[in-house]
Parts: sequence; structure tokens; C-alpha cells
Amino acid sequence: MSNQLAIHTEGLTKHYGSVRALVDLNLDIQAGEVFGFLGPNGAGKTTMIRTILDEIRPTNGRASILGLDTHDDAIQIRRQIGYVPGDLAMYPRLTGRDTLTYFANLRGGVDWSHVDELAERLNADLSKKVSNLSSGNRQKVGLIQAFMNKPKVLIMDEPSSGLDPLVQRELQKMMRDVANEGNTVFLSSHTLSEVQRVGDRVGIIRHGRLVAVESVSDIRSKAVRRVELELDGQAEASVFERVPGVREVNVENDHVIMSFEGDMGALLKTTAEHYKVVDIHTQEADLEEIFLAYYRDEDSAI
Amino acid sequence: MMLASVFTKTVRDRWKGWAIGVVSLVLMLLMAMSAYSEIDLSVFKAMPEAYRSFIGITDMVEVGSLAIRALYGTYGVLAFAAMALAMGAASIAGEERNGTIGLLLGNPKSRTHVIVAKAAAMILLAAISVLALWAVTIPVSAMLDVSIEGLDVGAFTFHLLIYSLFYGFMAMAIGAWTGNKGAASGVSAGILVISLFAAGILPLVKGVEDLVKAFPSHYFDGSDPLLNGVDWGDLSILTAISAAFIVVAVIGVNRRDLKSQTVGITLVDRLRAIPMTQKIIDKLAGSARVSGIWIKTASEYQGLLMVTAALMFFLMGLMMGPFYAAIPQETLEIGGQLPEAMVALVGGGDISTPEGWYQIETFGLMAPIAVMLVTIAVGAGALAGEESRRTMGLLLANPISRARIIYEKSWSMVLLAFAIGFSTFAGVALGSAVADMGINVWNIAATCLLQVLVGLVFGALSLALSAGTGRTKIAIFGAIGAALAFHLLNSFAALSDTMARWAKFSPFHYYLGNDPLINGMDWGNAAILASLTLGLIGLSVILFQRRDIRQTG
Repeated sequence: MSNQLAIHTEGLTKHYGSVRALVDLNLDIQAGEVFGFLGPNGAGKTTMIRTILDEIRPTNGRASILGLDTHDDAIQIRRQIGYVPGDLAMYPRLTGRDTLTYFANLRGGVDWSHVDELAERLNADLSKKVSNLSSGNRQKVGLIQAFMNKPKVLIMDEPSSGLDPLVQRELQKMMRDVANEGNTVFLSSHTLSEVQRVGDRVGIIRHGRLVAVESVSDIRSKAVRRVELELDGQAEASVFERVPGVREVNVENDHVIMSFEGDMGALLKTTAEHYKVVDIHTQEADLEEIFLAYYRDEDSAI
Repeated sequence: MMLASVFTKTVRDRWKGWAIGVVSLVLMLLMAMSAYSEIDLSVFKAMPEAYRSFIGITDMVEVGSLAIRALYGTYGVLAFAAMALAMGAASIAGEERNGTIGLLLGNPKSRTHVIVAKAAAMILLAAISVLALWAVTIPVSAMLDVSIEGLDVGAFTFHLLIYSLFYGFMAMAIGAWTGNKGAASGVSAGILVISLFAAGILPLVKGVEDLVKAFPSHYFDGSDPLLNGVDWGDLSILTAISAAFIVVAVIGVNRRDLKSQTVGITLVDRLRAIPMTQKIIDKLAGSARVSGIWIKTASEYQGLLMVTAALMFFLMGLMMGPFYAAIPQETLEIGGQLPEAMVALVGGGDISTPEGWYQIETFGLMAPIAVMLVTIAVGAGALAGEESRRTMGLLLANPISRARIIYEKSWSMVLLAFAIGFSTFAGVALGSAVADMGINVWNIAATCLLQVLVGLVFGALSLALSAGTGRTKIAIFGAIGAALAFHLLNSFAALSDTMARWAKFSPFHYYLGNDPLINGMDWGNAAILASLTLGLIGLSVILFQRRDIRQTG
């Protein structure tokens, strides 16, 4: 069982009329990994998830979860998965506990001590009606619903939306726990940092196409960062331009702002040779910059 | 720029419904006029004055007046008032329920502005629709060679306009004051139906004739505007109340906190919050209610079920007995001699007999409407409803097939329909016993069973539309439209010899066609209705399994 693929897609394609939402997607996800599915809004992440859940049917290609065909064996698959939809909506008139009871019954029962444990970890209030919950608290109910049957494959579409940072971190721990037990997490996200913190590998999707699949450590080294240095004196752009990986240096008196992709140690060493650093501020590049980095690689390969 | 303002956006969102309403009414008018023109009205014309005044036709017995009165006065009122009512209820409460009110009021527009703009859009659409109806009636009559000379169609449609808007503003006022869209449309629709009912029956009962003035319908056609022209007195009463509704709406929406996607607190919720009753209610309403798809579905419609069932039991069942006893027999006998054309619309039968009375008053129109109210709501909500509320993805992540969702939801539809049928049966049986009318109880049961079955046919149709398209509006209006058309086909086609065979294509033909209240159960008819329902459920399964789940309404 250990070498069985958790999720496998072959040439998965979905067209909506003339819109190509998903183009020839080939993806293999191993059991036991947390796989981050990264892409900007409208890239096709949700379409991919809805296709492998048999909510929508592919125009071309096929997919399997745990070796089972996503269409023919849909019910058998659903027994073993947990799912958090993006833009989660639930029954407004039911309380959190009623909602979980409903889905538990449809699954033929769950371990309620596990549910209580999950509720405690996420600090969720299950006694209120879903309609009276804030979006973050509603999201918690959705998360418990997905985790409660101890799924072999957990599919989550932007699961941390609306959650405060503390709960986000707890959720990341929960995902890691799932993976450590040999189960699989498929995490769709548009924030790199979230995927970096919890993921083993990352797939990047853009305009319906899988651009790259990388390990998290690889993508981190590729990631462009925006680095801002405050120095003790007038900065010289030429000092920084000599460091490999530095681009677009902007100097303003004692402030330097640059794009940087590479070994942070080298940059700091060079800086320290010339200046005293008063303050340092780095910001992770946004997705678009990472895509640009990938496209640059593709271009240079040609 | 159709999105330039709240006003234009509302018009753009709503014009199609009104247009469909006008087109269907004109088509129905064509059908009704051609059916009526084949009937020999000379018998009717020869009737004494008293006979004719019974149905409000004093000196004019023509095809034109019969058709226009029947169509615009009943179907027209239902269609336009329902449309206005839906717009009124949605204007504030609907935006609150969708959670869009915050976004809307994030713009530099006041709450009052929103109300006034939406009211203006409603007036404009209703006025254009009524104008179109008026304009089209003349060539349609000419085409069929039906004389409408001496009839003030303009006055009649003008009354129709003011009367429909009255319900629109009522719903708007309730919705703006409470923020509860369900209450807004429910209460106004209830008053509309009860008023229609009161206008039909109160003038017949001795001693309470004047009570009819308490109902708005009296100010719509009490003065018979088709013959007598516009009654400015009546219209100014309706207009004054409408104006008061607008004032209430403006004050109401400005005085309270706006809601955002919240739902009302029910009695059950209150009981659940009290520690003493919490445990019992939790068992009853909590975990039991969500123990499966069909139970949950059935429980979602408990409010609608209770109101409809109570209405059928008390008003349409129990009270009809004493009403029958209260109406002088001479009056009823006049009714019994009315031409078929007049009573066909309400189910047909001889009103002077106990069976005919119940058939016309209860089973003809109200009983199937009551069942359909619930079955169409369940059918449309079953799939398209979960999709438009975006809960279908979550539901389908569980190990259940799409077919099972349909079967379970159909099962709750069947249960709810039988609950309505049973309350009708209990009411009619009791009413008949109280007034000593002596209707065979088994025949009442048979009629109620057929009532349930015909309601299920259209519920299953809305389910199939829901399964095929995933759109709630198509499912609801498609099923209601089909029900109206088939009801009309059955009512009018039966009147003319050349069209009689077409009645067989209407499910309603298999409901009262064999007069079950008199003749008892017709298992053949029941089998036809049941097979139609099963066929449509089967079709739903096929359609639903083939398509993509929608993420939005």
C-alpha cells in the first residue's frame, strides 16, 4: 500500500465552452505527503479539485484517488477522503454540532471523542447556528467535518481563509499530523508561505497548466525575495549589484531596496563588508514574481 | 448602461419574469377564447337576471367578457401579484439573505434610496406589463373574431395593476420592517390567496356579505371594472394603503440593524436555549433532524407544511361544511344550473350537491395548489437549492451516490405531500360530518389520494428540471408554468368538442376527471399519475448523474 499513489491524474482537461480551465494535467501525489497546490486566483485549482471529486466531469483524461477511478468508484473514494471546499457554505439553520452529526450520519458514524478533540484544538464553538458564526468560525466547522473521519486523503481548497494566525498554525500542525500517520494532504493555496511551512512538495498551476512540481526546499531557493536594508551611511548600488542573484537595486540615501534570489548569507556578508546594518526587512515575493522566475528559467533553457 | 443604478439593475434582473407572465397570459387568453367561442352561450343568455348576477355578470354575456374575467381576474392576478410580491419581498430582505446588502449600502446610497428605487422599478415593470396586456387583448380578440365591444379592458387592467402593486408594497413593507424574506412573501401570498377565496365565498353567505369589504380583492373587482369602468373610490383606497406600505418600508428599514445572511430564530431554538427543555428538544429537533438526508429535507419544510396543512384542514376542509349549510339552497341551485364553462375553471361539478360543493370550493383549485406548494418547493430545492447555496459539494464529499440524494429527497417530497393530503382529508371528512353532508368517507380519501398524486407529478417535474439544469428559478417557474398550462388545458379543452381529446394530455384530467368524490377511487387514474411521477424521478436520476455540479445559483 505504501507505494500506491494517493492522487494520480492523466492528461486531465476541463473546458467550459471556449474557456480552458484545466489543460492536460499530469500529477502524481505520493501517500504520506503534504502536497501544496499553488496558483493565483482563477488558475484552475478549484476546477482540478472538483474534477477529482466527481463534482464535475473532465473533458479529457482521467484521475484516480488511492488507485480508484474518480468517476467509477466515487463512493468508495468518498468513504476515505475529507474535503474542505473553497468558499465554504453550510446549512445556515443548523448548529455546528448538528452539521457534523448530519455528515457523520451520512458516513455511518464517526468517533465523537475525536471530534471533540478537533474542536478543542481549533477552539471551535459548535453550539451556535452556522449563520451566526463569523466566517473564520464557520471555517472551523468545515475543517472539523473534513478531519473527523480520519481520512486517508484530505483535500482542502484554501482551508485557512478567514482563520486567525494562531488557528492557521494549529491547522498546519493538524495537516502535519495527518501526513505523519501515513495519510495524504492535498492543500490548495494562493499563499506561498503557507505551503512552504507545511508542504513537502509544491505544484504550481497557472492558466490551467501545471507549470512546475518542486520540493519545498527547491522552491524556497528559487523564491525571489524583496530585501530592504537600512544602513549607517549613503548606499552605493554598485556594491549590491555585484552579489549574484541581486536585481533591480534601488537606492535612496541610506536605504536599499532590491529583488534577491539566492544565498542570503552571501548578500549579508557583502553588505557587512561595506556598511553597518541598522535594520533589515525582507518580504517574500508574491506569486507573480515566482512565476516570472519560473518563466525566466524556461526561457533560459531554450 | 443597465447597471447604472439600483433602479436599472432591478429592472434588468426582473423584466424577464414579467415578460414571461404577459406572454403566458396572452397565450392562455387565446386558448380560453377559442374554447369559449365554441360553446353555445344562448342558454346562459336566456337565464333570468338573478341567475346572472350570481356570478357578477349583469347585462353582458359574451365570450370576451367571460374569457377576460376568468383569465385576467384569476390567473392574471395570481401571476402579476406574485411577481410584484416577489420583487417587494426581495427588495431589502432578499439582499440581506444573500448577504449583498452590506455591499450595496457600502456605496453612497441611503437605505431610503434603495427602497424607493426598487419600488419605482416594480411600478415600471408592472405598468409596462399591464399596458402590454391591454394592448395585446384587442388584436387577439379581433383575430379570433371575439367581440369585446362595451368592455372596458383598460379599466380592468388598470385595476389589475393597482391591485398587483398593492401586494408588492405589502411584501416590501414586511420585508423592510422585519428583514425576513420568507415572512414577507409568505404573509402577503397568504393574504392574496385568502382574499381570493373570501371574494368567492363570502357574498354567498347570508348575513356576512359585507364582510367581503374587509378583503383587498373587493377593491379590485368588486365594482366590476370590466363593465363599469374605473372605480376611483376603490382604487384610491388601495393606493392609499400602498402608500402607507411604502412609508412603513422606509421607516422600517431605517430604524433597525441590517442582517447579514442570518436566519430567524424559531421556537425550537428558544426551547433549545432553556436548560430545562434543552435535552428533550435536542433529541427531537437536533440530532434526530439531521439523522439522514430525507429527514433533514422534510424538516426544512416544516414551517411551510404546517401553515399549508392548517389552511387545508380548517379553511378549505372543516369550515366549508358549515359554509355550505349557511348558504341558502336556492342560491346553490342557481349555481348548479350554471353553464359548465363557468365552473370548469374551478374543477367542475354541481355546486348544489355536497360533493360538487367540495369539488368546486376545495378540490378544484386550492387542494392541488396546496400540495404543489410543498412538492415544487422540495423538488426545486432538492438539487438546485443545494447547488445555489453551495452546499452540494460538501454533501457529495460523503460516501453517497447522486442517485441516493434524489431518492431520499423524493421520499421526503412524498411524505410531505401525504401530510397535506391527510390534513385535507381530515378537514373535509370532519366538515362533511359537522354539516351533516353525508359524503362517503372513502370517496374523500380517494380524492385526497389523487390530490397527493397530481401534486407529486409537478413536484417531480420541478425535481427533473432541477436535476437537469441546477437552476432553482427554472425548476420553480417551469413547474408552476406547466401546472397552470395543464390546468387551463384541462379546464377549457373539456368544454369544446374539438378540443376535448386534448384534455387527456393534462395530468389534472386524471385527478378529478372521473369525479372521485362521487364515483370513488379510479385506480387507473392513480396509476397513470403515479407512473408519471416515478418516470420523472427516474429521469431526474439520469439527468443529474450526467452533468457538472453548479457552484452558484
